[in-house]
Amino acid sequence: MKRYLPESWPLPALTPLNRPFFTSGRIMLQRCSACGTVQHPPEEVCHRCLGTEFDYVASQGYGVIYSYAIQHYAPAPVLQEVVPFNIVLVQLEDFPEVRIVGNVINCPPEEIAIGQRVQAVFVPVTDPELDETLLIPHWERVD
Amino acid sequence: MRGTSAIVGIGESTYYKAGAATESEFQLTCTAIRRAAEDAGISVKDIDGFVSYANDRNIPTRLATALGVRELRFSGLAWDGGGNGVAGALAVADAAVTAGYANYVVCYRGLAQGQFGRFGQARERGRMRAEGHEAFRIPFGVVAPATWYAIIARRFLYEHGTTENSLAEIALVSYDNAQRNPRAVRYGRPLTKEEYLRSRWIVEPFRLYDCCQESDGAAAVIVTSADRARDHPKKPAYIWAAAQGMEYRGAAGGAFGAGYNDPEFPTAHLKVVARQLWSRAGIGPQDVQVAQFYENFTGMVVMAICELGFADPDEVEDWLLAGNIRWPNGRLPINTSGGNLAEAYIHGFELVNEAVRQVRGESTSQVDNVYYSLVVAGPGALPASAAILSAER
Repeated sequence: MKRYLPESWPLPALTPLNRPFFTSGRIMLQRCSACGTVQHPPEEVCHRCLGTEFDYVASQGYGVIYSYAIQHYAPAPVLQEVVPFNIVLVQLEDFPEVRIVGNVINCPPEEIAIGQRVQAVFVPVTDPELDETLLIPHWERVD
Repeated sequence: MRGTSAIVGIGESTYYKAGAATESEFQLTCTAIRRAAEDAGISVKDIDGFVSYANDRNIPTRLATALGVRELRFSGLAWDGGGNGVAGALAVADAAVTAGYANYVVCYRGLAQGQFGRFGQARERGRMRAEGHEAFRIPFGVVAPATWYAIIARRFLYEHGTTENSLAEIALVSYDNAQRNPRAVRYGRPLTKEEYLRSRWIVEPFRLYDCCQESDGAAAVIVTSADRARDHPKKPAYIWAAAQGMEYRGAAGGAFGAGYNDPEFPTAHLKVVARQLWSRAGIGPQDVQVAQFYENFTGMVVMAICELGFADPDEVEDWLLAGNIRWPNGRLPINTSGGNLAEAYIHGFELVNEAVRQVRGESTSQVDNVYYSLVVAGPGALPASAAILSAER
């Protein structure tokens, strides 16, 4: 399976905070070790108890499209080859307070709709400078 | 503490389409400040305070040196984002002159997108990595402000049954007003609804005419205490109230406009601002005669109109299409200079100059009997801000 955006489009800079999300092949959410609060994207401090130690909890990876945009104008030359492309905000079914930015694969722009159920799928992308493979979450329509 | 300071001078450079200016951004900024000082009846050398908002390249020490300012006594900045700080800068200047840190504070913005490139155009840097919160959006193509706000506006449209007709109305009103304003870059370039609907998509739901222009220019105002304001040639526009703000976890998911995990999403981030503004002002939306709404994208203006309390979100489309924001007979004419969409995109600061003109009676689309003139900054960007100027204190 190919990455939705071009291979040369920026990848995340991996940090201890975001590594589980981008390398584990699951939708991993940051959870405060002290109070159990889940927050996304991860931050260095828990917004509820100000704790600074975290573990990660896996979502089942199902959600619905909460909002979206269809990008026609390429904001960078390398994106010319993929416009128009979709960007969605997915609300997770098992963590409804969490919304995740992503792209829906195998879906023409005119079929993207709020409320559409989607499932996370993961595309391996190798960062050539780090020689490390990331598993970038993408989304696919499900019934 | 209402009306303790006033704007006594306004100035601007010529406004150009991006890339058309023959002067540098710094020169444009000096021109705007010089003209604001002239309008106030003071020498630029009497300016002793400098206030702008995030992203201004024209730093106070360089400006003060170049302008021959005798003593710089105060400098300040409204934080983060960009155009969200337009009215926040007025709040900082108001506080500074009210507390006596400076006597003549210039609030300004210089923006030459021809010289320095434009917002929203990602630079080609080969492979780069997205860091911090950006790691969760740039790899998926959310890189330009138009895209951040398209995602916010799309949800608002969905929740409230609002359509492209509302977005079009914002653009059409701005263009209509610009046809009476010779300063406007789009002067002599009227826009019809058919042309609007035919214009190309930038990022759905935004078409070309839903997006602010790209411009070269600068604008500035001189703020002084209400006591001093009476001694200047032009009618003072008192800073009756100003407010900045952000709701609980407003930037969850990313600073600027990409707070997608904000519990209040979709929002223009103006609810806290509105509560503070009306409370500080002791008046309500019904008391305002004219308003300038920062238009980054038309959809955000629709949301801002609702969050400031002028219309209910579920009824805003009917309210807009009933002509309420049209000059001269609408309930609340907006963006009477043409604003970011059709006058010039000076990162929204040109809206402050227009809000002052409305108090003075100098607008090319003058509203009758203006007592309170509102300016609302940067909907969607945060911390957002707004200010009410008044004809008397």
